[in-house]
Amino acid sequence: MCFDYKAVTGLIFIGIGFLLPAYTPPAKGEVITGTDEEAQLPFWEWRNDVMSVRLVQRLPDQTRAFFTARGFTKSQAEVIAQGCIFQTVYKNIATPSKPGVIEYDLTQWKVLYQGDVRALKVKEAWQQEWEKAKVPQPAQIAFFWALIPTQQRFEPQDYNWGMTSYNLVPGEKFDLEMVWRQDGVKQSGAIRGIECAPDVELEPRNPFG
Amino acid sequence: MRNYSRFVVFPITFVMTFFITLMFATVVYAEKSQPLHPVTGTPMAPDFSLNDIDGKPHALQDYRGMVVIINFWATWCPPCRYELPSMERAYQRLKKQGIEMLAINVGEDADTIFTFTVDYPVTFPLLMDLDSKVIKDYPVVGLPTTYVVDSKGRLVYRAIGTREWDDAALMQKILDLKK
Repeated sequence: MCFDYKAVTGLIFIGIGFLLPAYTPPAKGEVITGTDEEAQLPFWEWRNDVMSVRLVQRLPDQTRAFFTARGFTKSQAEVIAQGCIFQTVYKNIATPSKPGVIEYDLTQWKVLYQGDVRALKVKEAWQQEWEKAKVPQPAQIAFFWALIPTQQRFEPQDYNWGMTSYNLVPGEKFDLEMVWRQDGVKQSGAIRGIECAPDVELEPRNPFG
Repeated sequence: MRNYSRFVVFPITFVMTFFITLMFATVVYAEKSQPLHPVTGTPMAPDFSLNDIDGKPHALQDYRGMVVIINFWATWCPPCRYELPSMERAYQRLKKQGIEMLAINVGEDADTIFTFTVDYPVTFPLLMDLDSKVIKDYPVVGLPTTYVVDSKGRLVYRAIGTREWDDAALMQKILDLKK
């Protein structure tokens, strides 16, 4: 056996050269979980000193109510409600004293579920279904703007608030791997163990309680 | 030695305290600022003609020569609702300076918007982009998004998400466009 060490070393370096650009080092940040004050439902949040992404559970019943009120039929609203919807608040929390520009593309994010790697169901994918189903125009418009933008560029203090959809059934758990660019530099972060809201009805609140 | 403390240490302490307080106040002010971001290339604002909820038509062309704030919103959008009161407070001050504010609702009808204004009363025109054609002409991908148009009809500033529109520094930035 005779190895051409130069050739082998060269191949290793070429391999590293190909692999390195694909590797995105995780950004320093922390994951916070708890109960969202406004929604009174569980949330998962990734944040550092420039960016925060908070996913707040939406009960399927809330989603049904929202979309039927905007012109979707019961069965269409049911399809959305069963798709694991989160209220998502994506913020650039950089300050003028420490600025940073954030750009993201949801089609690059990964949903890890039971060993599978999946994609988020972004508004454009839903839109195709609504067009095929001839959903009334006002309902389609409300749906389009109710979901968080698929691509966005945030300067300091900019933010969006909208729904994200994970194409999983209520009650399932998944991990989310996110990528974004901060001042043009690709970064990544992950939130583990996110739970789609279970399909339960809200107990009516006692106004005197 | 005692006299030395009295006449030197006290003034030095006072001056240092003053500057530390000033630095702290500057940082706090900077962190709480309400930024408007410049629009690259300042393109011309796409023209439109939309009816308000009373059926009165408003064309952007009619406001040429004026600074105009254009806000895209919807009644079901929580951050849109959040910023409406501060927009109204700002409008009350800015309209006296000849600055106009137009809030373009995306996809909802007059009845829905009118009912909404019972809880969120505003005096600036609420225009209806029923088929969302106008918002698609603008570089907007999420609600709320607000543009400031200068007197030459150019998009000069942008804000994505809510702002406290009656913030003094933010309003001054808009007023400066009149100069």
